[in-house]
Amino acid sequence: MRRLGTGLLTLWAAVTFAFFALRLAAGDPISSLLSQGLASPEQADALRTSLGLDSPLPVQYLRFLGGLTRGELGRSLYTQRSVAATIAQQAGSTLRLAVAGLLVAAVVGLALGIAAGTFRTSLFGRTASSLAGFATAIPAALTCVLVLWAATSLAQSSPFLLPLTRSESLLLPALALGIASSGALARVIQSGLEDNFDAPYLLAARARGVQPGPRLIWHALRPVLPLAVSFLALEAALLLGGTVVTETVFARPGLGRLLVSSILIGDYPVVQGLVLLAAVVYTLTHVAADTLSAIIDPRLRPSA
Amino acid sequence: MRAAPSLWASAAWLTAIALACGLAPVLTSSSTIHPVGPPLLTPSEFPLMGTDHLGRDEWSRWLYGGRISLLASLSAAGLAVVMGTGAALLAQGIGGAADTTLVGGSSAAMAIPGLLLALLFVAIMGPGTDTLILAVGIGLAPGFARLARQALLQVRTEAYVGAAAALGAGGMEAAQRHLLPNALPRLLSLATTHYAWAFAAITTLTFLGLSGDISRPEWGSMLNAARPYLRIASWLAFFPGAAIAATILSVHTLGAWVARRRSGRWPVVSDQ
Amino acid sequence: MNLRRRFPFLACTALLLAACTPEEDASTTLNYGLTLAPTGIDPHLNASAELGIPLTSVYDTLVVQDPATGEILPGLAERWEVSADGRDYTFHLRDGVRFHDGTTFDAADVVANLDYTVNPDNHSQKAVFMLGPYELAEAVDASTVIIHLSQPFPPLLDSLAQVYLGMASPEALDAWGPAEYQFHQIGTGPYRFVEYVPYDHLTLEKNPDYAWAPQIYQQAGPYYDRIVFRFYEDPATRALALENGEVDVLGEIPPLEAERLDALPEFTLRPVAIPGQPMQFLFNTARPPTNDPEVRRALIEAVDRKAIVDTIFGEHSWVAEGPLSRNMWGYADGVSFPAYDPESAQRRLEQAGWILGDEGRRSRDGVPLSLTVVTPNWGNHPEVSQLLAAAWEAIGAEVQIETAPGFGLLKEASDQGDYSLIGINFFGTDPDLLRPMFTSSGLYNWMNVSDPALDAVLSQAATTAASQSDRQALYADAARAIRDQALILPIRDYVDLVVADNRAGGLAFSYQGWFPLLHDLHPGP
Repeated sequence: MRRLGTGLLTLWAAVTFAFFALRLAAGDPISSLLSQGLASPEQADALRTSLGLDSPLPVQYLRFLGGLTRGELGRSLYTQRSVAATIAQQAGSTLRLAVAGLLVAAVVGLALGIAAGTFRTSLFGRTASSLAGFATAIPAALTCVLVLWAATSLAQSSPFLLPLTRSESLLLPALALGIASSGALARVIQSGLEDNFDAPYLLAARARGVQPGPRLIWHALRPVLPLAVSFLALEAALLLGGTVVTETVFARPGLGRLLVSSILIGDYPVVQGLVLLAAVVYTLTHVAADTLSAIIDPRLRPSA
Repeated sequence: MRAAPSLWASAAWLTAIALACGLAPVLTSSSTIHPVGPPLLTPSEFPLMGTDHLGRDEWSRWLYGGRISLLASLSAAGLAVVMGTGAALLAQGIGGAADTTLVGGSSAAMAIPGLLLALLFVAIMGPGTDTLILAVGIGLAPGFARLARQALLQVRTEAYVGAAAALGAGGMEAAQRHLLPNALPRLLSLATTHYAWAFAAITTLTFLGLSGDISRPEWGSMLNAARPYLRIASWLAFFPGAAIAATILSVHTLGAWVARRRSGRWPVVSDQ
Repeated sequence: MNLRRRFPFLACTALLLAACTPEEDASTTLNYGLTLAPTGIDPHLNASAELGIPLTSVYDTLVVQDPATGEILPGLAERWEVSADGRDYTFHLRDGVRFHDGTTFDAADVVANLDYTVNPDNHSQKAVFMLGPYELAEAVDASTVIIHLSQPFPPLLDSLAQVYLGMASPEALDAWGPAEYQFHQIGTGPYRFVEYVPYDHLTLEKNPDYAWAPQIYQQAGPYYDRIVFRFYEDPATRALALENGEVDVLGEIPPLEAERLDALPEFTLRPVAIPGQPMQFLFNTARPPTNDPEVRRALIEAVDRKAIVDTIFGEHSWVAEGPLSRNMWGYADGVSFPAYDPESAQRRLEQAGWILGDEGRRSRDGVPLSLTVVTPNWGNHPEVSQLLAAAWEAIGAEVQIETAPGFGLLKEASDQGDYSLIGINFFGTDPDLLRPMFTSSGLYNWMNVSDPALDAVLSQAATTAASQSDRQALYADAARAIRDQALILPIRDYVDLVVADNRAGGLAFSYQGWFPLLHDLHPGP
């Protein structure tokens, strides 16, 4: 419960920061509309009043908070459509990408982590460990370009692979996003496995001559899994950041591209709404992850 | 402790690239903005790295671009380290409520994912390398503050233990005065990792086209500009991409080595 | 060993993800690519050429233009008369035309459309200017409408042939209002508007009741059940979208990719020369250092425009030599801009007082020669700007490039006035499109030029000029004046590189160049 409270507090702080930060933005958005020829002086004044921009800043802030409780995020300065509707329209694509990316991250992270943790002295294990580090460290932009290059090169020699490069297809962007996010999970699993393999009951088993076969690995893995799950929840939030780059490189519509284009044209209500959404998602996943590990924590201790 | 081959490779790369970028005016006489020949020449047709889509010397752009990438990341990381360490020291010095504020404040600041925060900065201040340095520096600062705080706490605990065990009560004040110097190795390792993160962040932001000046080369924006030519001129993506990857991995390797070196090898309490 | 266990799982995941690609019914749906996502798509109000690509087929216009000659032909109006003083145009409308919502089209609808367009509250960005000295329209009876002008305006028929003055259902205009109408457009054309999701897609469907095709439509279409438009703003993604079958027709393909695709058997390259203004940069004559004509001439001479065009556009474009493109009837053949001569450029600057300093930079009285170029971020402008900057740095100027990510922001930059050059051009088929830009009171006079002679020439050509050849002579005078005063830096005539999959046949473009005649597009060669 306290976690939820701190989470809400964090959320409020983030939201407030976004609100005031955007108000500091260079230039008055309304006068920008005027000089872009998108509004007459009368319309600009009317817009300014309806948006409450002529009130003092604290009043605007309270109105903003009030609007939030009603689920109102304002209207886009350019299309006049509600920010909530604009975001909802683009959210589906990003959500699909994030889920698919999470799936790939889980699979790849699990694979690399198990390999690195189980065979930590062999070349195989060390390579896996290095790969995991590699994947996290290099920026998502590079991973995306690499995946795109590999796919288009492959598709040149095998044209039947071409449909995989379509922008509706989740395969390539999910692969890129997932690989870029898998390293952290791999690390968690690797260190968890390394610790557990040193646990007395497992050392005893190996002393008896039991090789690191699937059953042994499973025994070592089980305690780590709950931690991994909660870690994955954290990854989910990080993934949302990665979608900005992925959507750009793979030409997918979604919240990432909406954010970049809204920033470039100065559609501040939309930017505000997106920052709010990101903060909410981030906070919720953190709270969920913390709660999850707290619940599972007591059961981590082996009863043996 | 024998240093692994990867450490030598990392050190070699970082030294080489820093020297190369620093000595750029010596290594190349081409302008970075003026075409030197037909566009998209391969590295064998036009050494050392061919020409880009506007016929400019890719080698020259790679060297000068590296300067900007490396230095901007240094500034951003430096900002984060200074701000973060300062905040952590302050909180440690004042103690109590200040410490709680630090933890709470950094949590709140970290609630907005780094990339988003940087984009917010661009929204407010407009695109430009200075904006990006500020954005990345301020974005990484809360995280560094948290880690610095942890490092300081650890040292403090060790110092108290060591002091109490070896020097008696008077050693505690001495330990406190030497908190920062003892924490320095840990902080150094953290700073190294943060440099790698700053570098990744800066190159991602310039990749997204937020660096403001479209003429000036920089590894992230060069990688982005190479995208339409992935098939017909893949070297244009290879050179900046490989440089980015090599730099980040080298810095991480170095940082990991520093972290491993300092554990158990440095004195807990300094001389009187 | 574990990876072997994981592999089937991985393979299944991969297949699952691959299977998530939805299949389109290829025989009756056409996928068309657009390159710019405009902020608004109401043709009466918004100015982008991109919106015309789908919407030209949603609306019909009073008259149409022959795609090859530009000759004015009947559209919704069967015939028309122009009064002797050139101020009244009487249109006789054809019968039996229905809007997509079933209502009948009549003269009152024409009046309502024109009223909507000229209503100042609606802020039309293009259509209202195309009407020139429009006063009012009057519906004499259900099939006769008279347009009254306050003075003669020869470009009127050309304007009325374009989608920006297409006929929309007034009921829909009223019901939805200027902000929402763009998402619910109702016209009379061969394709119906279904939906528009900004940045994502725009869908049209066949209008089966279309029985009033003007003679520019040569086939018995419309053929496709649906046409789906998607956006490909990033040039790096366009060729790939054609190759993987995601889209069947896409324009503005980068030149090297266009050639590569043309060489493949399944694609055909259709270069379309676009009439109007060429890609150009306007000099700001109100701000130093470009307020000095000698500096402007020097800057023009310092640029090897041919090399720039060759590097960026390959063989598919040619250097522009005036304020109009070569395929416009107002183009002045004998007028050309100064050739590449960097020595002459340097001399001019020296003589104008800009002395070369130690670090290769010029300055005058302690003020450095500093230029700011505001460039739009579409259509290869950024690349051209970079090469311009390089050329000017070579003669001793400091150049700063600022990118404007949207037309509105370009306009805002122009308001602020902090630029030496700004990149902007308009497309169109009547040379009168020069007037808003080059007259002292013009809305797009971003050069801050104020030349009474030029004003007189351009307004005469738009009003009292007796014949097309008279107008042609006037526009030649204008081109000379623009060249002599070095008001612009012309770069290249636009050529739209359209690549079509051979699955789609009958691709033809309107006289304006950008707009495909979707009515004639059909499956198969």
